[in-house]
Amino acid sequence: MGITRLELVNYRIFERGLLEPDPHGTTVLVGLNGTGKTSVLEAIGYLATARSFRGATREHLIRQGIEDAYLHATVERHDRPSTVNAQISRMAPARMTVNHQPVRTRRDLADVLAVTTFAPEDINVVRGGPAGRRDVLDDALVLLEPTAGGLLETVDRVLRQRNALLKQAKGRLTPEITSTLDVWDERLQAAGTSLITLRETLVDDLQDEVQRAYAALAGAPVRDERATMDYERSFSGDLGTALLANRDDDARRIRTGVGPHRDDLRLEINHRDARTEASQGEQRCLALALRLAIHQRVTARLGTPPVLLLDDVFSELDPDRSRRLVNELPEGQTVITSAVPLPSNVTSATVVAIEDIGGGRHGSLRSI
Amino acid sequence: MYPGPLRNLIDEFARLPGIGPKNAARLAFFLLRTPRDEAERLSSAIREMKERTTFCPICCSVAEGGQLCPICADDRRDPSVICVVQDPRDLMVVERSGSFAGRYHVLHGGLSPLEGIGPEQLKIAELEARVQDGVVTEVILCTNPNVEGDTTALYLSRLLRPKVAKVTKIAAGVPVGGDLEYADEMTLGRALEGRRDLEA
Ligand SMILES: [Zn+2]
Repeated sequence: MGITRLELVNYRIFERGLLEPDPHGTTVLVGLNGTGKTSVLEAIGYLATARSFRGATREHLIRQGIEDAYLHATVERHDRPSTVNAQISRMAPARMTVNHQPVRTRRDLADVLAVTTFAPEDINVVRGGPAGRRDVLDDALVLLEPTAGGLLETVDRVLRQRNALLKQAKGRLTPEITSTLDVWDERLQAAGTSLITLRETLVDDLQDEVQRAYAALAGAPVRDERATMDYERSFSGDLGTALLANRDDDARRIRTGVGPHRDDLRLEINHRDARTEASQGEQRCLALALRLAIHQRVTARLGTPPVLLLDDVFSELDPDRSRRLVNELPEGQTVITSAVPLPSNVTSATVVAIEDIGGGRHGSLRSI
Repeated sequence: MYPGPLRNLIDEFARLPGIGPKNAARLAFFLLRTPRDEAERLSSAIREMKERTTFCPICCSVAEGGQLCPICADDRRDPSVICVVQDPRDLMVVERSGSFAGRYHVLHGGLSPLEGIGPEQLKIAELEARVQDGVVTEVILCTNPNVEGDTTALYLSRLLRPKVAKVTKIAAGVPVGGDLEYADEMTLGRALEGRRDLEA
C-alpha cells in the first residue's frame, strides 16, 4: 500500500501543496520548523482515520480566512489505484469519499488507506491516562476486525444516551426510568462485552511481539527485558450484572461507572508498572514496541503494510535506539519528518524540501 | 444588516433542518424576487398544511381533516398485522415496496434521552391500546437501523411480547418471510435515509 499523489488545498499553511512520494520507499520531508512538515503527515493520517493525530479540531486544519480545506490522495494497493478525498469545513462535518463514494464508517477508509503513526507524543500512551491506551487498542481493532468500528460507535452512543437518561432521573430510579434503563443496559452489555472480548483477544495476540520488539529496541536479550501487558476490566463478572449492581451509584453520580470505557491496559516492564515506575527511555521504547507489534499484525491482516508515518521520532531517541528502530521497521512506504540527522542505517530515501514560509508566500512541496 | 421583515424570514429559514445561514439568505432573496402571488402560494401551502393535516386517530400517521388515514380507512388491509415505524416517511418506504398488506403504527420518533425522548413522548400508549383486543396477532418492528431505533425495538418487544402472539423485527438487509424484494426495497430506503457524513 502506498500513496502516489497527495494534494493539499487550503490546508493549514498550504494554499496548494503537492507531494508525489515513492509508494514503496522512504520519503523524508525537510525544512525549517513551522513550515508544515508535520502537517503533511497529519494530512495523510487524516485521510486514513478521519481525524488529526495531533488532536487538532477542524478549524485548525483550514487555512486562515478560507472556508474549506481539501485533501486528495491517490493510493496504490495491490497495483490498483484508489482515490481518497476529504473536504474539511468550518461549519459542517467533514465530507470524505473513497473512489467518489461517500464514506460512512472509518472502516471504509481503512479498506483503502491504513497508516501507522509514530510521534513523540506516543510516550503518553504508556505514562498518560487509560483513554490513550484504550484508543491504541481500538484504533488497531478498527483495522483488524470488521465489526469493531460499528461496536465502538454503538458503545459510545449507548453510553451517551444512558448518561442522559441518568441525568433526567435526577437520582430517582422510578419504574418508568428503570424500564428504559433496562433496555439501554441490555444494549451496553451486548456491545460492551463484544468490544471487551475483541480487546482482550488483541492484547493476547500482541503479547509476544511486543515483548520481542521491546527487547530488540532496548538492545537486550528477551530474558533480560520483559515487557508484558494485561487487559484490566473495570468490573468483575458479567457486565450486565455489574451495571445493575452499580445502578444506584450511577444514578447518584450521573455517569456510568463500569464498562469498556473505564477499562485499562496494564503495561509492565520487568514486573514493574510501566505507567508509573519506568524511566522515560523505557516508556518510549514500550510505546514504540506496542506500535510496531500492531503494525505487524495489521500488515499480516491486510496483506500489505500500512503507510508508516514517523513524526520526528529520532530526536527523542539516542543514536543506538534510533538505529534499532530503523532495523525493526518493515518494508513499505514510509514518510519521515526529522529535526535531527537520520540514523546512519536509513540507506535510501527521497528527500523532499518544504519551502520556507514567509513574507506572505505560500508553501508548496516539490521533489528535489 | 437587512431590513427587519427580510431578516425575520432569513432567521425562520435558518431554523429549518439542513438549512444554514447562507442557504437561508439565498431562499429569502429568491422569494423577494418572486412575483407576489407565487410567494403567497408558499405561505398558503404552509398555512393549509398546518390547518388541515391531522394525525390518524388509529395509527397516528398523517391524515386530513381529522379523518382516518387512507390505509386505516381501507377495509382490505389486514388488521391482524401491524408494522411499527418511526416516521410517516418510513411508512411510505414500506408502502412503496407494495408487499405489505397489513396496517401501520407510527411512533413519531425513537427513544433518545439525549433529545429528551422517552416512551411517553412516543405513540407507544396508543400502540399498546391497539393490541389489547386480541385482533392483532403480529407486530413487525421496523425501526431505524441505528442505536436509537434498535433500542426502541428492544423496548417495544419487551412491552408487547406478553400481549401479542408474534413480535418480529426487520433487520436492515435481512429478508423477512423469505420475501427478498420486500427486504431489498427496505434496505435501499434505509441505506438512502441513513446516509450521513463522517464527523471529524
Ligand atoms: Zn391510520
